[in-house]
Amino acid sequence: MTDGHDHVLTVEHLEVEFDTYGGTVHAVRDVSFGLRRGRTLAIVGESGCGKSVTVQALMGLIPMPPGRVTRGSAKLGDTELLGLPERELNRIRGNRIGMIFQDPMSSLNPTMRIGDQIVETLRVHRGMSIREGLREAVTLLDRVRIPEASQRARQYPFEFSGGMLQRVMIAVALACSPEVLIADEPTTALDVTIQAQILEIMQALQREEGMSIILITHDLGVVARMADDVAVMYAGQIVETGSVDDIFHRGGHPYTIGLRRATPSNDPERKQTLEPIEGSPPDLFHPPVGCGYFARCPHAMRLCETNMPEAFELARSPEGVLHSARCWLQHAAAPRTAAVNQRRSVSS
Amino acid sequence: MWTYTLRRLIQGVITVWFIATATFAAMHMVPGDPLGSDRATTEAIRANLEARYGLDKPVFPDQYLIFLGNMARGDFGISFTQQNRNVNDIIREAFPISAQLGILAVLFAAAGGVLFGALTALYRNRLPDVVIMFLVILGISIPSFVFAALGQLGVVRLNNLVGQSVLPVAGWGTLQHMLLPALVLGLGTMAFLTRLMRSSMLEVVNTDYVRTARAKGVPPLRIFWRHQLRNAVLPVITVLGPAIAAITTGGFVVELVFAIPGLGRTFVEAVQQLDYTLIMGTTVFYGAFLVLMVILVDLIYGWVDPRVRLS
Amino acid sequence: MAEAARTFTADDFAPAEVRTDLHGIARPSQSYWQDAWYRLRRNRRAIVSLWIVIFLLAFTLVGPLLWRVDPYAQNLDRISQPPTLAARTLLVERGVQWEGVTLPDWPAAPSSAWLLNPERGELPPPERFEVVGDPHTMSVRLRWSPVANAAGYQIYRNTYRPTAVNELGLPLGETWNGNEVGYEDQLALTPSTYWYSITATDGERESEQFVTIPVDVELATTIDNALMRGLIESRDAVRAGEYVSMPANPLGTDYLGRDMLARLMHGAQTSLFIGIAAPLLFVLLGTIYGAFAGFAGGRTDDFMMRIADFVIALPFLLFMILIRVASGIGPGESGILPLLLALVILSWPATARLVRGQILQIREEGYVEAARLLGARDHYLILRHMVPNTLGVILVTLTFAIPTAIFTEAFLSFIGMGVAPPVPSWGSMCNEGLKSMLNSPHELFFPALLISITVLAFNLLGDGLRDALDARMRSRE
Repeated sequence: MTDGHDHVLTVEHLEVEFDTYGGTVHAVRDVSFGLRRGRTLAIVGESGCGKSVTVQALMGLIPMPPGRVTRGSAKLGDTELLGLPERELNRIRGNRIGMIFQDPMSSLNPTMRIGDQIVETLRVHRGMSIREGLREAVTLLDRVRIPEASQRARQYPFEFSGGMLQRVMIAVALACSPEVLIADEPTTALDVTIQAQILEIMQALQREEGMSIILITHDLGVVARMADDVAVMYAGQIVETGSVDDIFHRGGHPYTIGLRRATPSNDPERKQTLEPIEGSPPDLFHPPVGCGYFARCPHAMRLCETNMPEAFELARSPEGVLHSARCWLQHAAAPRTAAVNQRRSVSS
Repeated sequence: MWTYTLRRLIQGVITVWFIATATFAAMHMVPGDPLGSDRATTEAIRANLEARYGLDKPVFPDQYLIFLGNMARGDFGISFTQQNRNVNDIIREAFPISAQLGILAVLFAAAGGVLFGALTALYRNRLPDVVIMFLVILGISIPSFVFAALGQLGVVRLNNLVGQSVLPVAGWGTLQHMLLPALVLGLGTMAFLTRLMRSSMLEVVNTDYVRTARAKGVPPLRIFWRHQLRNAVLPVITVLGPAIAAITTGGFVVELVFAIPGLGRTFVEAVQQLDYTLIMGTTVFYGAFLVLMVILVDLIYGWVDPRVRLS
Repeated sequence: MAEAARTFTADDFAPAEVRTDLHGIARPSQSYWQDAWYRLRRNRRAIVSLWIVIFLLAFTLVGPLLWRVDPYAQNLDRISQPPTLAARTLLVERGVQWEGVTLPDWPAAPSSAWLLNPERGELPPPERFEVVGDPHTMSVRLRWSPVANAAGYQIYRNTYRPTAVNELGLPLGETWNGNEVGYEDQLALTPSTYWYSITATDGERESEQFVTIPVDVELATTIDNALMRGLIESRDAVRAGEYVSMPANPLGTDYLGRDMLARLMHGAQTSLFIGIAAPLLFVLLGTIYGAFAGFAGGRTDDFMMRIADFVIALPFLLFMILIRVASGIGPGESGILPLLLALVILSWPATARLVRGQILQIREEGYVEAARLLGARDHYLILRHMVPNTLGVILVTLTFAIPTAIFTEAFLSFIGMGVAPPVPSWGSMCNEGLKSMLNSPHELFFPALLISITVLAFNLLGDGLRDALDARMRSRE
């Protein structure tokens, strides 16, 4: 969608479903985005909106009997990731794409030494000997600023704090200098002070290595700090995408605006009370025919209930990043002011 | 780790003391005097017993203390029914047989349990899982003596079919004698371990660190060995202590059915003939053995799991 | 982006109404037990198991009322019979030894000329070979025509038609004179067809030529025996040669000729009584003990749990046997009570630990704290929170304790340390059946099958209950 850029990773029309006891969940519905080389794309949204499923589908990490990728493509350079056989996918995972997860405490094998877990990646992809691998692992631990790296490499995960473990995870993910780093809520489980350290390390490494980052988060503070581009997800769809400035200051989708208003800010000029978004996301067992945000949208119009909005182009950032929003308010015929559009209260 | 080991050993000694006391109490609750003259077969044995156990003195504390002293020295006394034989000698003779059988059975059970459990988890809800879990349910629901009888029947039929003795039906002596009883003895425990291993494995398969390993591009076989199996086996090791106990006491029946001259059969025969010294001796011996095994298994677990080893 | 294919009117862009029904995902709410019951019903294995348990209880409680056969009555003429349906039996007088048939004018020994002839051939078999009277299971009488120069005859019996001399079967007996041409077979006859063969011998050599006749043997009982077994009212009411009907042994008889079905039913009373009563008692005891310890907390709790730890450390089966020996069984006692006692003494601590853990855990739960802050009294907390939240766990424990107890009873009875004979239990029946396993496998098969089915049913039911009651499992689906 953001054509004309040097994209490391391009995802188009991705759809993912899960078969559960209750029926089929349409977890990801027609998601497309591009990741610019050396930049950070943040995918934002509340729990259950399909952020994690999207990136796990790219990595082939979705458990396949219940889960299923029904449509779409995801290209890393020239390589189509979706439908790639496990053996070839394993040459990409950990090698060209690294990934870190939300909970560092449970994401590392409790019965394996930290060093060995880094060495494993190096052995699998680089064919290093254990000795070489260990030396490399210590260097990596050093780079993620773990003190006394050579001793720490011989320890087990339970001897580390959460923040330290997330650094280890970064070291594991970056062992083979991947082109893309996917960080799935990397700071959610950590203390605020530790969060800042982790983000700092990620930024520093990005500068050194020139890798691209997909950052999944629900924390707009993290987005503001890290992201170049933002994709806002809601109910399995990307409802708005654009540069970080566009999203923060010129939001084109009521959900983006709602999200912004529900986030505390320490900007003294923007003194306002936090406004929660009422209600809850729609049931993805039976996704709505129209806009997914219809039920909660303060500006909803009659057509929104039964007509799926398309992505309306709004603008391009100075860098040329396309800003688009999936909302009928962006339709040429839609009323312009929000005041006019205040939804009528009707007791049902 | 060392203080832990020491603490476990001290606990073990206290437990054995409790077992010995309970045994002593149980034997003295038997209607009539268990060490009375009607049981001791010869005058010589009786005189010997009286001197040894202070039978002319009160039960508590004198006889009890004598008993405890004997047990502490590892002196289990003289058998009531087998003349001039030390209980120690009987145990020394019979226990190695039971131990061989037990070790083989534990190996069968552990190897089978881990293997089948891992298989069922990997093939969850597919044919191998369904078939193995059906057999597991049977294994848990059928008493060991029925397995023993079926095994014997099977071997008789097999031998008849082949026309020569492929496997001996009963008795002791060679490795062939051990195979069937050990399998029968291990079967129930194997079924139990398979179930445990399956659920443990299913839990591990869905853990975050296995997902991390996949995200690292580690090939499935390596994930299975390095990440899944090792972590899934841990809970199985914790129940190995009770499993050994189950196999040891299960030996009573199997040794009886297969006519194996082990300690289990000795114990059952001692109980049937009310050979009190032999009962007390074997009970305390068994108790101490089982306590030791549980401690050993706990220590092994501590050694395998770094979280325990290093704390 | 291209303009949408359809065009919209101004009305489409009018504000939509607020509709509260679109919010949230409304599902009907169900109570914990309703939900558990619903989940249990969907578990087909558990429901089948539940029906099996109900059937077993009916078998145990109602069975003996319908099948009124004395489980202790021994029929020594019907030992280890395979399953049979009801049969008619011929009444015969008390078996009188048949003196046989001796021909006075036929030589008892071969002529010396025959014996001295070194080139003499084999004796031919008798020309006629026939049954005298009605052949029945009390006796089969045979006679045959004499053979010249015979010094005696050999009689054989087989269950199939022999085609060669080495297939004649069981050598029943022989007569020692050439003129003794009758034989009575009373050896373990069952109602079926036998093939009798006969050969002649000249005193030195037995001929290899034989004749064979098939004989259909009919079931028969002596009048005395029929009287003893209650098949007839009195001796005068019947005469020999009449038929009376015999009760069936649908599952055969055991090594003392006792009816297996009746014994299995009464054995079920023993096995299931111990299997259900003992868990009920020790789960109850453990629950009270554990709940008390959990509530009391502090030093009382420590002390109570230390005692439980000691009992848990005792090797279970070893002490089952020991307690059983210590309590001793007098003559005429069944030994059920000592067994029950031993099970309760050794098994309660596991439940106590579990319940105590639950109580301690629930006490810390937010909703209990909240209720306490709202001024709930202790008894309200117990009734409203503790009981419902531990009941599920206790129920599951109970269900799994039953197969274990049944197993234990069977195990002990099997090694002769359970209920005392002649009281039947499934375990002791297995023990008895094992001895005759090779010849009459049904004696082992039926009790073993019942034990296995019972244990299987309770295990599957327990699995189903655990899944249905486990709140964690619910959120996972």
